[in-house]
Amino acid sequence: MKNKHANNIRYSIIVLLEEDNDGFADYICSLDKIFSDAEGSYEIIIIANGKEAALRQELPEIRIQGKLKAFSLNKKAPQAVCLSSGFKESCGEIIMVCGSYQQLTHNAIKHLLTFLDKETDIISPWRQNRVDSKFSQLQSKVFNMMTQKIANTDLKDLSCIVKIFRRRVLEETELYGNMYRFLPVIAAKKGFKTKEVPCEHYQERGKQGLYSPTEYFGRIVDIFTLFFHTRFVKKPLRFFSILGSIFIFLGSSALVYAFFQKLFFDYPIGGRPVLLMALLCVVFGIQLASTGLLGEIIAFTHGRARKEYNIDKII
Amino acid sequence: MKIFLSIIVPLYNEETCIKKLIDKLTAVGEKFDFNYEIILVDDGSTDRTWQLIEQHKQFIPQLRGIKFRRNYGQTCAMVAGFDHANGEVIVTLDGDLQNDPADIPLLLDKMREGYDIVSGWRKYRKDHFSRVLPSRIANGIISRTTGVQLHDYGCSLKAYKADCVRSINAYGEMHRFFPALASMTGARVTEIPVNHYPREFGVSKYGFDRIFKVFSDIFAMNLIIRFSSTPLLGFSLCAVPFILATCFFGCIAVLAELNQWISGKSLFFFFATALNAIAAIHLLGNGVIAELIVGNSDLSHTKMPEITKKEIKVAPHEK
Repeated sequence: MKNKHANNIRYSIIVLLEEDNDGFADYICSLDKIFSDAEGSYEIIIIANGKEAALRQELPEIRIQGKLKAFSLNKKAPQAVCLSSGFKESCGEIIMVCGSYQQLTHNAIKHLLTFLDKETDIISPWRQNRVDSKFSQLQSKVFNMMTQKIANTDLKDLSCIVKIFRRRVLEETELYGNMYRFLPVIAAKKGFKTKEVPCEHYQERGKQGLYSPTEYFGRIVDIFTLFFHTRFVKKPLRFFSILGSIFIFLGSSALVYAFFQKLFFDYPIGGRPVLLMALLCVVFGIQLASTGLLGEIIAFTHGRARKEYNIDKII
Repeated sequence: MKIFLSIIVPLYNEETCIKKLIDKLTAVGEKFDFNYEIILVDDGSTDRTWQLIEQHKQFIPQLRGIKFRRNYGQTCAMVAGFDHANGEVIVTLDGDLQNDPADIPLLLDKMREGYDIVSGWRKYRKDHFSRVLPSRIANGIISRTTGVQLHDYGCSLKAYKADCVRSINAYGEMHRFFPALASMTGARVTEIPVNHYPREFGVSKYGFDRIFKVFSDIFAMNLIIRFSSTPLLGFSLCAVPFILATCFFGCIAVLAELNQWISGKSLFFFFATALNAIAAIHLLGNGVIAELIVGNSDLSHTKMPEITKKEIKVAPHEK
């Protein structure tokens, strides 16, 4: 937010350099070319996330005067941190975030920019005709399907790093950890107008094929975080009380059943697993409920300033 | 210029009746001998509601508008109104003219008798049985748990002292239960019969699934009000039965082991002891963490759910 009004910049292009890319200099120059054709002034901000050496090596080859800023994070950080540090340095009204290499074609980016009318706050590209390998297409499809189902959204492609949005979107949306990926979903829940535009893209580079198990696990946890974040952040007890009451119901009905047998039919219950299972379920239920209460206390004591609604205008 | 009354009206796609509403409100407002404001909250309308609010704003200085980015529901709209209201007394009503603004002075009169919240009661309301039943059940549960006896929780026309609503942590469908929630902080609640006009279009939804949600909210609110300044106490009280059960089963397990009862049974008692101990330890641990959270929060205890207070006039000493 530095110099916000000092120089009237329309576009800020934030490039996250997270993977090695030999053609990085060319890539930046081509971005420069796209925007020098577009209306309005622009700036390019490069944030190297743990790739300082690569940035230093490529930087002399990027010949853009005055419009380039480059930063390097001293330590590898989650994407959201990286983005927000780039965002702090930017002053454009419209932010475009790009990854380490060119994902979308020139025409696609120009095409996306035309969709940013007054009503729209975020544009998310939808790589409709994927040119990647069948396997990575499948992975991406499964991931997006899960997100759609769990977060209840109709966005079809969240795996693309490129996103274009208005400044106020990021000013009013708290991102942390790996949540950048879900920015259009979170922002749409906040009432920002989101558009998904089909466009052409280049083949994915960098790491491909089978990822490590940690990464798959991380993705699933991310989707769960999104689910919890968008629905229960202000009312955690609701989430836990649903789970807890299922367990308590199961446990107590099993207990009633066992005692009924003992009382009226004189079945021995002491040595049978049903009693222990019932007790175990009740204990689980109580643990979940008490965790929910803990959550509620956190939401109450620390989340009061955080409102459930988002105000567009006040007169 | 101190504002005494804030009138909050949530609006969702009400372009057809907004003019009539504002006319009625200002007609009532002219009779007031105090300053008032009208806060219209546009709950993400897709029609011309906001443009109309902006238009009317130019002629009516008492009018204020809040526009949401998307539709958040009536509760959020009311909470936003509470957050931005300047008045000492807050009145809420429906935007679809089901409530009669002319009833507002009646609510205020009743409030002067010493109440903190006056709720409207649509006494002559005729609705279908399928809508009345779930609402009856919910009302019954809420009356039992909170001790507030109201005929009509669903009526939007209510008057609150501003202090009473600010301490409510509300979300979801909770606006119906503001009086019940507020009563937990000591607010004195009453009701008076009000006019009610039939809804011209649209149906209000009220199902059994909401009872569960509301019940869990009321439960949370109740515990927070009671234990937010001493959470360890609350959790410890919950842990007591488990501690007792641990001791009980533990003794039997030891006895069974010493007397060499049938091994299957002594194993059962061992597991029962272990499970109860786990539950007790978990609850106590959570209690300590809750204490940490509350202790480290930057809210002072006076900001915790506020117990409503009234001033008792101190008679001057006669000498």
